Amino acid sequence: MKTDKSNLVKRIVGTLIIPVIAILIFYIVCAVKGIAFFETSNHVLIFCRSIATVTLTTFALSINLNSGRFDFSLGSISLLASVVGSTITLQYNLPAAAMLVITLAAGIVLGAVSGLLYVLLKLPALITSLGVALLFESISSIIAGSGVSFTTEKALTQFSSSIPNMVIVTVIAFGFMFIVMNYTKFGFNYAALKDGQKVAVDTGIKEKMNAIACYAIAGAMMGMVGYINASLTGTIQSSLNFGSIGAMFVAFLPMFIGGFVGRFSDQYLGMVLGAATYATIQLGFVRLGLSSEAQSLVSALVLVGFLIYLNNEHSIVGLFKRKPAVK
Amino acid sequence: MKKLNIKSRIIEIVPIVAMLLLLAAYLIMMGDRFSLYMFETVLNQTVITAVVATGAVFIYTTGAFDIALGSAVAVSAITGAMVYNRTGNIVLTLLTMVGVGVLIELIDSSLAAFLNLPVFVTTIAMLSVLGSLVKILIASTGGAKVTIPRDAVRALDNSTFRLVVLVIFVAICVFLYNYTALGRREKFLGGNPVCAKLTGISVKTLSIIAFVITGVGVGLAAFLTVVRAPTITNSTASSIGLDVIVAIVFGGMPASGGARSKISAALIGSISMVLLSQIMTILNYTAGVSQLVKSILFLAVVTLSGMKGRKAMLTR
Repeated sequence: MKTDKSNLVKRIVGTLIIPVIAILIFYIVCAVKGIAFFETSNHVLIFCRSIATVTLTTFALSINLNSGRFDFSLGSISLLASVVGSTITLQYNLPAAAMLVITLAAGIVLGAVSGLLYVLLKLPALITSLGVALLFESISSIIAGSGVSFTTEKALTQFSSSIPNMVIVTVIAFGFMFIVMNYTKFGFNYAALKDGQKVAVDTGIKEKMNAIACYAIAGAMMGMVGYINASLTGTIQSSLNFGSIGAMFVAFLPMFIGGFVGRFSDQYLGMVLGAATYATIQLGFVRLGLSSEAQSLVSALVLVGFLIYLNNEHSIVGLFKRKPAVK
Repeated sequence: MKKLNIKSRIIEIVPIVAMLLLLAAYLIMMGDRFSLYMFETVLNQTVITAVVATGAVFIYTTGAFDIALGSAVAVSAITGAMVYNRTGNIVLTLLTMVGVGVLIELIDSSLAAFLNLPVFVTTIAMLSVLGSLVKILIASTGGAKVTIPRDAVRALDNSTFRLVVLVIFVAICVFLYNYTALGRREKFLGGNPVCAKLTGISVKTLSIIAFVITGVGVGLAAFLTVVRAPTITNSTASSIGLDVIVAIVFGGMPASGGARSKISAALIGSISMVLLSQIMTILNYTAGVSQLVKSILFLAVVTLSGMKGRKAMLTR
């Protein structure tokens, strides 16, 4: 009974320790400097929006990277999906909900196309995704020229200005991943392929279908990211020569935090908490007035520091463990 | 068996055939307009990517990759330029750039080797760190760029110098790669890391050496960048990291490294990519259409040249 209780405490502490420490650090530092962490409702909105977009990107990155598939095309899917969604919406004068549905559908289709190319060409995912990134960037440039602008269309630029919308997006994305990956046949097959590709294929699991579905899910997530970003500013800037690749880099820290939290509870919950940690760090830097260069420098160092801990945990913990006395 | 060998050989020459076809298309399109100046244009654009890619082949052979090479070139170029502005010594500038390039790659590989971090993660973190460092270093000079006087590099700003640098660096790399135990061990490590480790090969040492050689290429590329354009901004060399990956793979290098890796992939890929860009310019295509053609050709050539290593399961 006592063990159950201590296990539960251990799991709760393990799950929450990273975001709680991050929030505490920034609250204290901000308080010392006489700054309120959340001074206006806009700060809360920025925080929630950051959690939403980073959570979605992390789910998109991790679903393939956890299976050894490095996907450089995520940013280009987000870009092209939002270009397709906004162009069709503007051309046919459709409502904001239609833009959401079209962008999401475009994301799913583009993700599936990326997966299909990976399966058909039988090249390493890293190589295929480089080609796909070039392909999708170029198509978005051909469709939109230098970009799409709809700043005067008020209805199309309201979605990202609502805190409830951002919370709903995060909850739906988490709920989807939690249920699909933990309670469906697809999720079981995914886990089997991830941990033992050959055995799983030999037992009859359809690897190709599973991989395409993973890419389609990643596409859906990135389509949603594209919609949030487009509705935030009312503009979509085309980018070429791999300019879209940077979109995925925000997801590494939350993904590894998710892996750590997964030991205590659920890795997808961990990714949401990782995204919250990332959002805390970013907002904290902004509130403390750090330059964008310093922000990315410190973020990268935090990522490296966390990974050094994760990959050397036993040695580091061993340093602080009391050694038994020599008899 | 014989049939298989013929198929393998045909597949192996796909990148060379692609390069020759691109060259033929370029020459036909240029027609009478082709001149020494045009040749120099192709050379100038090829050399920087080719130098970095040639060094990076050592990393790719072990099955790893480095996405932060462009930022490494930029940091090396800025520090070298800052040294020149203080000392006025061009030799010291070159040595600084090579030294900084080696130091960056040494840090990158040491983090992976001694702290057990996955290489792709260290290079991604390095991309952020170096990208920020570029901006911080430039801002520290009080402007939006770092410049060295044009006169300081005017004597070196010619095709002969670039060609000499490329030939010497490639010759050294070919020697190390094809005629010493280092190259064989790198290929062994990329082909079968477990087996390589069991035979006593030091994975850490080999990995660090691969990154150090790449660092030399990074430093040389930084110097060539400054010689060509002595003004360094936030965007200088920013695309080199991915250009190198594309060039190496287009040139016929397997992404997983191993025995089929070759130095020539860096040269073939770099030349092909520049020829393709030149053809797109002649055809007066928009940037979007140019990239569309580039992406389709990239996927086609890589698919054809990768047909030899197909497995029943999906490649990861």
